[in-house]
Amino acid sequence: MIVTRKRLSLDAKYSILGAILIAPTILVFCTIIVYPLIAAIYLSLFSIYTPTMEGQWVGFDNYAQLLASGEFWRSLLNNIIWTAGTLSLQLVFGILVALMLHQNMLFRSLARSLILFPYFLSTVVAVLIWRWMFNDLYGVLNHLLMWAGILDMPVDWLGSMPNAMVSLIFIGAWKYFPFVVIVVLARLQSIPESLYEAATMDGAGRFARFIDITLPQLKDVLIVIILLRTIWDFKEFDLIYLLTGGGPIISTQTLPLMVYREAFALNQMGNASAVAVLMMLIMLVFMTLYLRKTED
Amino acid sequence: MAMRKKGSHKILYSIFGWTVVLLISFPLLWMILTSLKPQSELFLIPPSLLPSEITFEHYVRLIHETPFLTYLKNSIILAVGTTVVVVVIATLGAHSLVRFSYPGRKSLAVLVLYTYLLPSVVLIIPLYLLMVKVGLSNTLVSLIIAYTTFALPFALWLLRSFMAAIPADLEAAAMIDGATRMQAFFDVILPQAIPGIISTALFTAILAWNEYLFAMVLINNDEVRPLTTGIMSMLVSSFNIEWSLLMAASVMMSVPLIIVFAFLQKYLTRGFGAGAIKG
Amino acid sequence: MTDTSLGIHIECVSKSFDDILAVDALDLEIRKGEFVSILGPSGCGKTTLLRMLAGLEQPSKGTISIDGAVVNDLPPSKRNIAMVFQTYALYPHMTVAANIEYPLKKRRTPKADRTRLVHEVAAVLQLEQLLQRKPRELSGGQQQRVALGRALVRDPAVFLLDEPLSNLDAKLRAHMRAELILLHRRIGRTMVYVTHDQLEAMTMSDRIAVICDGRLQQFEAPNDVYSRPRNKFVAGFIGTPSMNLIEGRLSGAGDDRVFRSGDWTLPIRGLALTGDAENGIADLPVTVGFRPEDILLGNTGDEARVTVVEPAGHEVIVVCRFHGHEIFLRVSPDTRLRPDDRVRLTPRVDKLHVFAEPDGRRINDDFPK
Repeated sequence: MIVTRKRLSLDAKYSILGAILIAPTILVFCTIIVYPLIAAIYLSLFSIYTPTMEGQWVGFDNYAQLLASGEFWRSLLNNIIWTAGTLSLQLVFGILVALMLHQNMLFRSLARSLILFPYFLSTVVAVLIWRWMFNDLYGVLNHLLMWAGILDMPVDWLGSMPNAMVSLIFIGAWKYFPFVVIVVLARLQSIPESLYEAATMDGAGRFARFIDITLPQLKDVLIVIILLRTIWDFKEFDLIYLLTGGGPIISTQTLPLMVYREAFALNQMGNASAVAVLMMLIMLVFMTLYLRKTED
Repeated sequence: MAMRKKGSHKILYSIFGWTVVLLISFPLLWMILTSLKPQSELFLIPPSLLPSEITFEHYVRLIHETPFLTYLKNSIILAVGTTVVVVVIATLGAHSLVRFSYPGRKSLAVLVLYTYLLPSVVLIIPLYLLMVKVGLSNTLVSLIIAYTTFALPFALWLLRSFMAAIPADLEAAAMIDGATRMQAFFDVILPQAIPGIISTALFTAILAWNEYLFAMVLINNDEVRPLTTGIMSMLVSSFNIEWSLLMAASVMMSVPLIIVFAFLQKYLTRGFGAGAIKG
Repeated sequence: MTDTSLGIHIECVSKSFDDILAVDALDLEIRKGEFVSILGPSGCGKTTLLRMLAGLEQPSKGTISIDGAVVNDLPPSKRNIAMVFQTYALYPHMTVAANIEYPLKKRRTPKADRTRLVHEVAAVLQLEQLLQRKPRELSGGQQQRVALGRALVRDPAVFLLDEPLSNLDAKLRAHMRAELILLHRRIGRTMVYVTHDQLEAMTMSDRIAVICDGRLQQFEAPNDVYSRPRNKFVAGFIGTPSMNLIEGRLSGAGDDRVFRSGDWTLPIRGLALTGDAENGIADLPVTVGFRPEDILLGNTGDEARVTVVEPAGHEVIVVCRFHGHEIFLRVSPDTRLRPDDRVRLTPRVDKLHVFAEPDGRRINDDFPK
């Protein structure tokens, strides 16, 4: 009996090769992203004691308790305040500094390096530096401000409210605004000079040129920046945990910190997973709405 | 007349600009200054701005009296290991996404974007359990695997836009000249992708070098700790917070960054430009 | 006797991308050693066709054979073809010598032979001085010669050229056209040349394949395509300035046959037409066409008003307003005409083209039997 094997078309062969090349990526995604995601959803339906990982089914009880608890909503509120606050500062500083660096100044590339530095610095290092500067006895910040006459007494930057949140927002802005600077600067540098020349010939002054040419060109880049930074700031853990630990008490606790606290301090793995799932849902809703709004 | 006016404009502007820059980088400068001050000077009230004498005693103590070098070794292994794994997987994956077509390819690109939504806190719990089950808990390998999870989407995104910028004709020409698709990839595409690969490698290495949460959860053996958790443990362990040591450790930890900035900065800025703008 | 299985056979080939039909049931037979141009406007499918010949795209339907073997599923590397890209596609990180050598390396040609062949090709194309340079250091014309060299060095059965001259300035383009013609004469290999420039196609090809919307319009020698276009599209596409085309109606038969458009009446006697037109069916919708050089200027015909006079050195192009239409004329350089002059013109009936509407098919009865 003759068995004829159907020869694969060239297109099919190429498709298979393409699939093979992306296979490791998919493998990583599935086992290390999809699996934990599903596991988190699964775990959230149980009440689990973290050290032993033993628990029992509770269905949606975890969610019900959380949504009824003040702590969840407080953490969500903190998250929103933190994200909105630091994002606004990042945008404002980022755009201003980008504009500044776009002009000609002495040793411009050195200036750019120094501006970029906070972003690539380890969060640990950043936290240590700021905590040292905030120190009530030996910290340089208190002394400089007192010397300048702005303060009479040292301020507790991280231990009381609203100082803690304000400090957080400000340090977050300091650390992450270089991202905005670099992306905006790259975009600024790609705007063709001829656009400005044409506008100047039409009689537009500096401010008009900024409003009519620069800003519209920046719009599409700003949309991407806002999306990315919102997501990344919203899920920020390291900075807040290391600076305030969520304190005082839970006044600066954000959702990621709540997840960690539930899981490892309160030993409630199920609850922690539920918070995590809720958090992701919130971000998913935000992202979908945002993308839809910016598509038209 | 106009020339002179422009020159003085530039100087005025530079003064303004540099004031801003110095304000922003003040914390970094303060870190370095503190690490060079003699111990006695550290706790002056009010604190001195510049050190009266420059001393390296804290650095020496750091190296000799703390597990700093162990932490350093671990961080290096982590950074290099993660970078190699991520760059290899992402380069092949990006090439596949850009130059091949198969069902589901477009949805993959969108999926990559949505993985950004995953907070690390969500992943650590199941990952931790997985590592324990596989017997990899408390090893650097578990961290490399963990770092790959969140480094890969960004690396893929970066490399995808870099490789999309390589003209398709080059691969076509190589194939017509007698190369198979993979030969064309190695002979022609890869050499063109090198700047993009360097950018991606730098971003990944920095990410792995700076990471804290996963290192905290997955590793509690001091022998295997990287610098991030290592240094924080130094902060917590003593009753007296040794700020001088901590500042010295911070400076040391930032040294690779300084080197990258001094010599390879353009790769970092290009990475931002390509990744973010082309979206 | 020539083996007709040699050469390139494109049989009923179609290509769709998602919903877009780029190439529509194309049949083309290119003889071995022929220089064929594939000519058409942007987006007509000519580049897609070339890429299918190269193996960079696969036909959705139909077969492509080269020298008797079906190549649909053969990867480009195995088809014994070479291609010169519009962008040259030189490998930027390799020297000129390495670029030219690359195909030989892929074939595992021994090193000594590789070096020899590279130098031979470099000598032919005058690239010897540039062998150690990188592509970015070369001018457009030099890069193009390197691309040619890379194609030549492996002596393929078929050369594919994708608008290779479009990135060159006019003078260099004219020079390279001549060079390519000479090259073809020397090596006698099949060359398939894609272009949107009908001058290139006319001057270089043995035959021209005119393509529009993915469909083959005509496939004949340049003179035939010029003087006997098969439809309105080909007629209007070939020739600069293009043929003047006027819509109207044809009626009558024999000596009474007449073309009417608006207030213009043109008696058409002695012009053989096919089909309904010949039988004198009244009121046939047609379009008549006449080339700028086929117009009689002077004492006969209706009045026209000159609007633009374009002296082009060796000739003068005159644009007139004639019965509400814009007409282009080609006249000798010593004609003294100025805008707003009134002239009398009439097209030469013996050179008139008549196209049926609505399909645009040419219905002159002068095709060789």
